[in-house]
Amino acid sequence: MSAVKNQCSKVTSPPFSSDIRSCGENIVDMVDMDEENFAISSSSAADTAFDAVIGCIEDIIMEEEFQQLQQSFMEKHYMEFDDSDENKLSYTAIFNEYVDLLEKHLEQQLMRRIPGFTMNTFIELLMQHKEEVPGDIFDMLLTFTDFMAFKEMFVEYRAEKEGRGLDLSQGLVVTSLIPSLIPTDSKRTTES
Amino acid sequence: MGLLTILKKMKQKEREMRLLMLGLDNAGKTTILKKFNGEDVSTISPTLGFNIKTLEHRGFKLNIWDVGGQKSLRSYWRNYFESTDGLVWVVDSADRLRLEDCRQELSALLLEERLAGATLLVFANKQDLPGALSKEAIREALALDEIKSHHWCIIGCSAVTGENLLTGVDWLLDDIAARIFTAD
Repeated sequence: MSAVKNQCSKVTSPPFSSDIRSCGENIVDMVDMDEENFAISSSSAADTAFDAVIGCIEDIIMEEEFQQLQQSFMEKHYMEFDDSDENKLSYTAIFNEYVDLLEKHLEQQLMRRIPGFTMNTFIELLMQHKEEVPGDIFDMLLTFTDFMAFKEMFVEYRAEKEGRGLDLSQGLVVTSLIPSLIPTDSKRTTES
Repeated sequence: MGLLTILKKMKQKEREMRLLMLGLDNAGKTTILKKFNGEDVSTISPTLGFNIKTLEHRGFKLNIWDVGGQKSLRSYWRNYFESTDGLVWVVDSADRLRLEDCRQELSALLLEERLAGATLLVFANKQDLPGALSKEAIREALALDEIKSHHWCIIGCSAVTGENLLTGVDWLLDDIAARIFTAD
């Protein structure tokens, strides 16, 4: 994780990145972003398209809808989780379902917001630009695929539902990379 | 494969390895895992699910997955194959009666496509027990010399005393690192 951060911090943000953040206003057509095109052009169009998608992803995961998606998923499955060290085999199927759900949502939203968006094209761009993905976004997306973070999220959710605070004496404290993922209303009070 | 899965794979190239520890029940997988992690190993009960430990070793981040080995659980093993860099097959060297079962389970695993690229470390565990077979005897019983599809190595060890655990993991790391991190 630190290696990724180090790499990313060397990359200075492009001057236009702040404009690109709101993807509604900066729709970049990805239709003609085939390989030949950005091989010839100085790839600035491809860069812009890439930044636009990253900005969009950031928007999507910050939105209420995304958080509700996670919330209702947790509501459906949290009773299965307990905080013992050993994991149940059933967690794995639930985890795979979760990753799938978030991936599908991201893809659908990107397709809705960016004309001509295809995940395959974007993934190719991603491979070429992987050093330029802002570290925080990268980490945030990675936590969605981190099983231990996933389990901890459920254990905490359940503890909260059952009126138990996070027990810090257990010596395991997982800090979410995404503060907004933790319901802001009640969570913070248990940690102070 | 979706975006998140791709990102994860990209990330995993960064000096990170995934090790999958399998073997029959009572082979000592969880004991190895906990011993390696410096935890108490005096009260370990049969694993019905799976354990994960993330360790830093020699500058590598090791994600070690240990899945229960009871017969009824073995069909779940396949859910943990994906992205495995190293397979650790743990053998109870004193359990002579089940060596054939052990050989069959291992040879079935080696046919799995998703484990095709993984390095195999066989731990001939429980060398501290008086009735334990030597690693040479285990090597023969499991027909390891017939394995051509994977890099492999067998190490005699004791999870309880910790003997040779590090030797095994170091060999595994070297082999994986030579395959993965010099290939780029």
